[in-house]
Amino acid sequence: MDEYLVQVLSNIGMISFLALSAYILLITGEISFGQQAFFAIGAYASGIATAMWGWGFWPGLVWGAAAAGAAAFLLAWPTLRMRGLFFAIGTLAFAEMVRLIFEIFRYQVEIDGELVGPNGSEGFRGIRYIFEQDISAFHYMLLIYAVLAGVLALLFVIERTRLGAIWRMLGEDELLAETEGVNRTYYKVLATVVAGAVAGIGGALYAHMNTYLEPKIFNVMLGVHSLAYGLIGGLGTAFGPLIGVGIDIGLLESARIFSGYRMIVFGGLVALLLIFRPRGLLDEAAVHALVAWWRNTFSSPAKRSGGSGRPPERPGA
Amino acid sequence: MLELRGLSKHFGGVRAVDGLDVTVERGQIFGLIGPNGSGKSTTVNLVCGVFPVTAGSVSFEGAEITNSPPHVALGNGIARTFQNIRLFSELTVWQNLWVAQNGQESVRSQGFFSRWLSGNRGQRASVEEQLEFSGLADKRDEPAGSLAFGEQRRLELARALAARPKLLLLDEPAAGMNLEEVKQLDERLRWLNEQQGITILLVEHVMELVMGVTHRIAALNFGRKIAEGSPAEIQQNQAVQEAYLGRSEEEGDEGGGSS
Repeated sequence: MDEYLVQVLSNIGMISFLALSAYILLITGEISFGQQAFFAIGAYASGIATAMWGWGFWPGLVWGAAAAGAAAFLLAWPTLRMRGLFFAIGTLAFAEMVRLIFEIFRYQVEIDGELVGPNGSEGFRGIRYIFEQDISAFHYMLLIYAVLAGVLALLFVIERTRLGAIWRMLGEDELLAETEGVNRTYYKVLATVVAGAVAGIGGALYAHMNTYLEPKIFNVMLGVHSLAYGLIGGLGTAFGPLIGVGIDIGLLESARIFSGYRMIVFGGLVALLLIFRPRGLLDEAAVHALVAWWRNTFSSPAKRSGGSGRPPERPGA
Repeated sequence: MLELRGLSKHFGGVRAVDGLDVTVERGQIFGLIGPNGSGKSTTVNLVCGVFPVTAGSVSFEGAEITNSPPHVALGNGIARTFQNIRLFSELTVWQNLWVAQNGQESVRSQGFFSRWLSGNRGQRASVEEQLEFSGLADKRDEPAGSLAFGEQRRLELARALAARPKLLLLDEPAAGMNLEEVKQLDERLRWLNEQQGITILLVEHVMELVMGVTHRIAALNFGRKIAEGSPAEIQQNQAVQEAYLGRSEEEGDEGGGSS
């Protein structure tokens, strides 16, 4: 595989975590402009763990996810009392705050006569764990996709359980869900924490691929994109946001014909989709149709006649 | 069973509910009537904790529940329907009843992990029971949004009953129904009250229903209670007649004009 392709695919894989993070909140009916903050926290936390504390990669990854999840928990308590637009603005303010804190965050130790660690707006150099272990870019890409597959599998399981049904109930009609006995605060905080941890995993993977972090990477545009991925790809299934990432990074950012026009095409695409498919390409109806088609084509006649006895596939559709 | 003491809700300068005292006894069907904007729906929303009260208290079975959020109210045994029907309109009838079980105590009490998992047998059996009761069994696979108005109301009632409430708050359940449907609703409410022992707080405009089915009625106007008594007393009450029919300027001094 050529180097450029590996790099593009790795980028798609990492940004997918951010898109999934925004997606989790979107299905519960909240719009967050701040998921890049958890990506940043995951990146810094895991980088600090492997480069400065001498941890292994996997403990560092888990630590990055945990730190991002914990930060999300702290954010969730005050902001989930806000609704709609206010939540969106609250998350935006939080993300900018986190970015500015990293601009002044200095924590360095001397390793082999060299200062390592976050140095404010100079950035955080020397997250070299992957290089030191002699892992090739190709193998690292496989590792990214293995982790992504794990997170996707977890999300698919969640969507088929009561938890997933409740998230979508809240996303459809919050008051109705509450009236039916759903503890809004509990389930929204849970969604925020899971979303934060997922973004944190992506951040940890990002830090170790780039070996170098700079606070300005984690700006608002990153968050806006991650939101748009779900809206382009669709909110019917966790595959939706991945389609969005594929279109943006795989096609618009990486293909030469779009160079320089990426944002124009991307913006136009978002506008068109919001008009014609407000819940994305793979929206709930499309997912339903696909699932029904799959059942009719591949399952046995006995199973097919089950009809209404089955629990809903996508309770929010 | 349900006691409202000095209950008030002000939206800015508007006193939607203003110092309301109401006591609903166990086993009653209690009617809450009044012209549009008199604070009936607001009262229901305050009991369910949809928004915080400005002043006063709500207590249920002797315990104060003022400002408990809706899911806590449901856990306490207070279920409700909405004035503007609220259903997951793209889900089928069956699915609506099924997801409505998600928040309930029977599911919740199964422990940390199993409460996240779905679809046990008891849950399904309960859905079938509600389908049967509401007479919607043959519409089970139709999207709730495609049902006729009266059917949607029935589904909403079934959804509220799925929680096995002690107190049922019905916010204008007969709105938009024809006479035949009102009659059916009347029978259904009596059955729920007498056979199932459910206490009902009925907010309603349709007098045929309210006057026939309730044991006691409170009439509101501009957020205040203007009268309370048996249906017959309320029908005779002058303040109630004036609130509904108005009081003409010329006849005002004579204190009548609204027979």
